[in-house]
Amino acid sequence: MEYMKRSNFIIKYVAGISVIIFILFLMERLLSGFWLTLFMLFGINIILAISLNITNGWIGFFSVGHGGIMLAGAYAAAFFTLPVFFKEGILDLKLPSFILHTQLAFLPALLIGGIVGTVVGIILVLPALRLRGFYFCAGTLGFNIIMETIAENTNGPMGLRQFLPYTNIWWVWGIAILVIYITWMVKKSYIGRAFIAIGKDPDLAEHMGINLLKYKLYAFGLSAFFTALGGILWVHLILNLFPKAFNLILVFEVVAMIVIGGMGSITGSIIGAAIITFFSDILAPIEEGFSLFGFNVPSMLGLMTVLIGVLLVVILIKKPDGIMGEKEISLGFFKKFLRTKQT
Amino acid sequence: MNYLLQQIINSLGFGSIVALLAAGYTMTFGLIGLVNFAHGEVFMVGAFTAYFILTILKLPFWLAILMALVGSIIIGLLVERLAFKPVRGSGMITLFIIGLGVSQILRNSTVMLFDARLKGFTVSGFLKGVYMLGEVIIFKKTLFIFLTVLAICIILVYLIKNTKVGIAMRSISYDTQMAQSLGMNTERVIIITFIISSALAGFAAVSWGYIYGSVHAAMGVHAVVNAFVASVIGGVGNVLGAVVAGYIIAIGGNLFIAFLPPDLVGLRPLFVWIVFFIILIFKPSGLFRANIK
Repeated sequence: MEYMKRSNFIIKYVAGISVIIFILFLMERLLSGFWLTLFMLFGINIILAISLNITNGWIGFFSVGHGGIMLAGAYAAAFFTLPVFFKEGILDLKLPSFILHTQLAFLPALLIGGIVGTVVGIILVLPALRLRGFYFCAGTLGFNIIMETIAENTNGPMGLRQFLPYTNIWWVWGIAILVIYITWMVKKSYIGRAFIAIGKDPDLAEHMGINLLKYKLYAFGLSAFFTALGGILWVHLILNLFPKAFNLILVFEVVAMIVIGGMGSITGSIIGAAIITFFSDILAPIEEGFSLFGFNVPSMLGLMTVLIGVLLVVILIKKPDGIMGEKEISLGFFKKFLRTKQT
Repeated sequence: MNYLLQQIINSLGFGSIVALLAAGYTMTFGLIGLVNFAHGEVFMVGAFTAYFILTILKLPFWLAILMALVGSIIIGLLVERLAFKPVRGSGMITLFIIGLGVSQILRNSTVMLFDARLKGFTVSGFLKGVYMLGEVIIFKKTLFIFLTVLAICIILVYLIKNTKVGIAMRSISYDTQMAQSLGMNTERVIIITFIISSALAGFAAVSWGYIYGSVHAAMGVHAVVNAFVASVIGGVGNVLGAVVAGYIIAIGGNLFIAFLPPDLVGLRPLFVWIVFFIILIFKPSGLFRANIK
């Protein structure tokens, strides 16, 4: 019996992974150009939204400073992936020589960037020790601006260019599915329940024997690692690194994803990422202006941010929990749904 | 010594803007716990109204100030009615996200309708020129704005301390439900507070135009961050504290840059946040006492 269960389990995993690989293979063949980029941006948005959800939705520390973490991770990875002659030539970076003269493959650079991002994310725990609620929020806003200012003053406001296009569908969706799987497992485990308990009531959680500092460190470390990965993938997709691009508008879009999808829900984050990707990338050509049946629609830069803002405000007023609330859509959810229909 | 004095006098202009914004900010913050990040956009709308009156229609400056106040008040009340009122009482973080969303909407709408470039602001004739105090240069416009802000500040403190509306504001900031059960029309008092705070933003907008000679769509971002930090330093809800903290921040920021090596001038935005973290860690209630005073 035990043996049967385990083999069932393995079959499920093998089947799941092969289905995913088949879908990705199909996508790689079918999609091209704009739609392929869009599909990858969707994956990156999922990574960013889920990792922001760990801190904002689960342990209840509303951070708007994840742009700073992305920036740190992206810079650290870029120092290793840029070709050596660009680093010495056009970009004229002032780095220690062992960094200047090495060029790594994408995976080690990704890990280095992720670790740097984690270290920076753990710095965010320091304000979380003293500040609560809204003041923490304002502090992370400051953190974002501080990171941006430091980045602008180390390599100039133009940032870095001449990236190699490492990001492809396999990297993005491989990492996205890994992130979904890990957060799903974490949510079911003791650690995830401790996170959610802290989010509901920190004092009560402490009385129940949950070590607040330890779990805050875990949550921020996990969140920062995934966020840094998302930032690195994004930078190697758009092929330039511009410190101003990591400002509040980017963070605002990710916050909009998790608020619209539902704070604390993984499937909600995915739905939110889909909605915001649709708004900010599919409808983006409208901003540049077009002609429809002879009418010339003038270009309206910033229209998408306005629409996202309106959507966010309307959702917060009419349905403050977002689309999913704290619920999840899983296979069990469907089974229960069908069962209640029959009876 | 002259250099130091010159730096301090130069920062009085920006200090006045931050002080006015912080005073308006701290009133709504203390009254209903609203962290109004859309305040910077209310300020920006006021500046654009004044820009249209002064530069495009070429009308006199008092009309520009009046219309800037009217524009700011209309936008401020609209934002309060449409965005903040439906979610009042649902926690500061919700209010913060709504404020962020509204500020993005207003800023990007302005970029959409006009554009993101700098727009020249006509400075009226009698405000041009300088006074010399020994070797220290004082701009006429800076002096005019500074004196006006002092007058506004005195009126505001009198209003809050001695009039009926001010007493109502203070009681609501202590305990809203108690004030309501004693028969106070809290809705009216909140609207009056929004009118005052938007009007202060409108005057700050005209000052910005006079001091920097141009307005643009993203002008609210930097100013509102400074004003927010000033309101935290001054003690939430304390109008006089916010004004003093606004001047402290502007002067401190200017001196921070003045005594730093020239290639580190880009680090200017760091100053505000360093002060913010130091204050919140060592004296979280602010330099002066909290609650509307």
